[in-house]
Amino acid sequence: MNEDYRAQADALDARIRTAIADFALDEPAFDALACDVFAHQFRWNAPYAAYARSLGVSENALPRTAGAIPAVPGEAFKDAALCTVAPERAALWFETSGTTQARSGRHYLESPALYEAALLAGFDRALLADGASLRYAMLVPDPRERPHSSLGYMMATIARERGAGEAGWYLHDERLELPRLTAGVAHAQADGVAVCVATTAFALVALLDELAASGRRLPLPPGSRVMETGGFKGRTRIVGREELYARAAEAFAIDESAIVAEYGMTELSSQYYDSPASRWSAIRIKLPVPWLRPIVVDVAGNPLADGSVGAIRHIDCANRSSAVAIQTEDLGVITADGLLLLGREEGAALRGCSLDAEDLLRR
Amino acid sequence: MRKTSCADSTGLRALPARTIVRAIADAAGRWADADFPPRVRATAAIGERLGYTTPVVDYALDRLFRGITSDALTAAITGELGSLDILDGFAERNGRPAAWARGTNAVTIVSSDTTIGVAIVPLVFALAAKCAVTVKDRTDALVAAFVETLGEERPELRAATDVRAWSGGDDDIEVQTLGDADVVVAFGGNEALRSIRARCAPDATFIPFGHRASAGYLTAAALAGDTVALAAGVARDALLYDGDGCLSLHLLFVERTSDGAHERFVDTLAAACAANAVEFPAGPRKPARAARVGAYAAAAAFRSANGTGRVLRAPDGTWTIVADPPADDLPPFGGGVIPIVFVDGVAGAAAYVGRHALPLQALGVASVDDARELAVALGGVRIAPFGHMQDPPLAGHHGGRARIADFIRWVDRA
Repeated sequence: MNEDYRAQADALDARIRTAIADFALDEPAFDALACDVFAHQFRWNAPYAAYARSLGVSENALPRTAGAIPAVPGEAFKDAALCTVAPERAALWFETSGTTQARSGRHYLESPALYEAALLAGFDRALLADGASLRYAMLVPDPRERPHSSLGYMMATIARERGAGEAGWYLHDERLELPRLTAGVAHAQADGVAVCVATTAFALVALLDELAASGRRLPLPPGSRVMETGGFKGRTRIVGREELYARAAEAFAIDESAIVAEYGMTELSSQYYDSPASRWSAIRIKLPVPWLRPIVVDVAGNPLADGSVGAIRHIDCANRSSAVAIQTEDLGVITADGLLLLGREEGAALRGCSLDAEDLLRR
Repeated sequence: MRKTSCADSTGLRALPARTIVRAIADAAGRWADADFPPRVRATAAIGERLGYTTPVVDYALDRLFRGITSDALTAAITGELGSLDILDGFAERNGRPAAWARGTNAVTIVSSDTTIGVAIVPLVFALAAKCAVTVKDRTDALVAAFVETLGEERPELRAATDVRAWSGGDDDIEVQTLGDADVVVAFGGNEALRSIRARCAPDATFIPFGHRASAGYLTAAALAGDTVALAAGVARDALLYDGDGCLSLHLLFVERTSDGAHERFVDTLAAACAANAVEFPAGPRKPARAARVGAYAAAAAFRSANGTGRVLRAPDGTWTIVADPPADDLPPFGGGVIPIVFVDGVAGAAAYVGRHALPLQALGVASVDDARELAVALGGVRIAPFGHMQDPPLAGHHGGRARIADFIRWVDRA
């Protein structure tokens, strides 16, 4: 291992970990840290550097603000190993499902420590701000079946570090194990432990549908909550968030404000969560952790003023060993309160002579 | 017998087909004039609805209405039915029973939100067949405005047409217009078409026009000729209407050459795209599409920076050429993007089309001499020279289907 590299990486990791521990990073400090992380990657991450050079970046002309850092498109993780170390030396890799294409990619991480510290700090603030100790009921990929699922890894880490009792994994081969989930909830109820149901939106729909089909509910113990993530990518059944949360609140006997949406990507190390203030509102606003910032850009990649609709670019300082700036197709608006996520155009669509027939049925 | 509520074809059925055809052609002739006041109003409304600039809308309306001539209508009808008069009553046929091509009672057309006036062509053929027609119109009210002109030519045409702008989910209207129709023409994706089909009467004729893609195939031989003209045609086929039509060029196959002409064509095409953007300025693109196109272009730029493929792009993102994209990636279908897949022959293009199960509608070519071979290898129902992919003649077929035959029922007199 190159000594220069190690010293630089360790110094950056220390700064990032300080930001995580403080849960604070002001604008100048964020710019400085993000630019330093980029400079490190410009030196050690060859594919990223090549891309940045093609956009006019050089050793003598490095970005001075986070907004000026070239963002790699999410799809780039399919075309290159975007890592500051050789992939075989990465401690972790997560498989990116991508958006519209069949190919998958890999997000390599040099070490799990930074990744875990970042995800735990974000989760603590978003879902465990009251200091609750919860038992985790997982409707997300089981790491034993899908070891390279970032969501599965994240929830396994949270359950291991923060859980009250052993987590239950109730989604296998995309099939929901409702009897086991029901028993797990009953067990938690008997133990007097609140539950955190961690679920993708689609799995939640499947659960609610199955409960409804049998005319049942699944009341959770007092203090329980739901972390919902994902969406409906590639699914045929799409349910609106408001309807979904209303149904979930009714089925679980919890307040809708106890349902918190997480917004993350395999290509990131950090996450956004619904702001506490917006959890009682029809419009949920996403808050990033302090070492993660969204920038909304236009079609040419230029940052837009707050209040404008554009594609979301994430600057995630915890992505120290991969790529600090990631460009997505997700649309959003930056408001005074945080990020309003608007979603994306679903996939590449064949162009017919008409969308009208679909309007006819959907409107 | 089923009957739609407002459209009444009683008067129309009393008219000779020739009179109807002439009236339709006369109405279209008035609409072919860019200064015709209803067209001026419609042009503005279409631009507002779709975000296209006036030159683009004018081009589309010119192509649409200039094609609806008496000769073209007559040729299409005669080609499919044998004669025009056969729509009026029994006609003798050599070696076959005398027959009457009697128009069905009720036709419903659920048309397009993304293209301009796609309902009008099936409408005029259904009217030529003397059917009562219900059309779902768009907010630009183009169909309604054209029907007013038809009515000025012959009131029977207006009486036979019910143009509505209902909202989806309006069960009363949908049950009536879909369930009562003898023929339903619908455009859309598979899910929507399945749902519409389910609402049709069991014995109704359902004419679906599903989502399709179109491609171009450029041979090595063609690259030895006038590539500037070829590139201009490709650019027009790909960029007009922002690639939103099923006949828009969404993907270009280019045969590799030993002298690098295939690589040079990328630059020629870029120049053509820039010129096309001057002739047909692009309108604003919806943010979601802009983001998707931007991401596709950025991914191509990343690959290019790392030694694979090329990307050339207008500064404002109006057009993007991506040379040599990954074979596993689907093209983005429109948004001003022209993915160029280099191949060693038709088999390479066929492999790409097969890999992605692309349902091809049109195929652009430099020379139609190879049409049969390409149709066999790649599929598609329309093969046209570059620059004319989106300009199908009225006397031809639509999506591989007849123009008028679906709107009639044969009555034989044995």
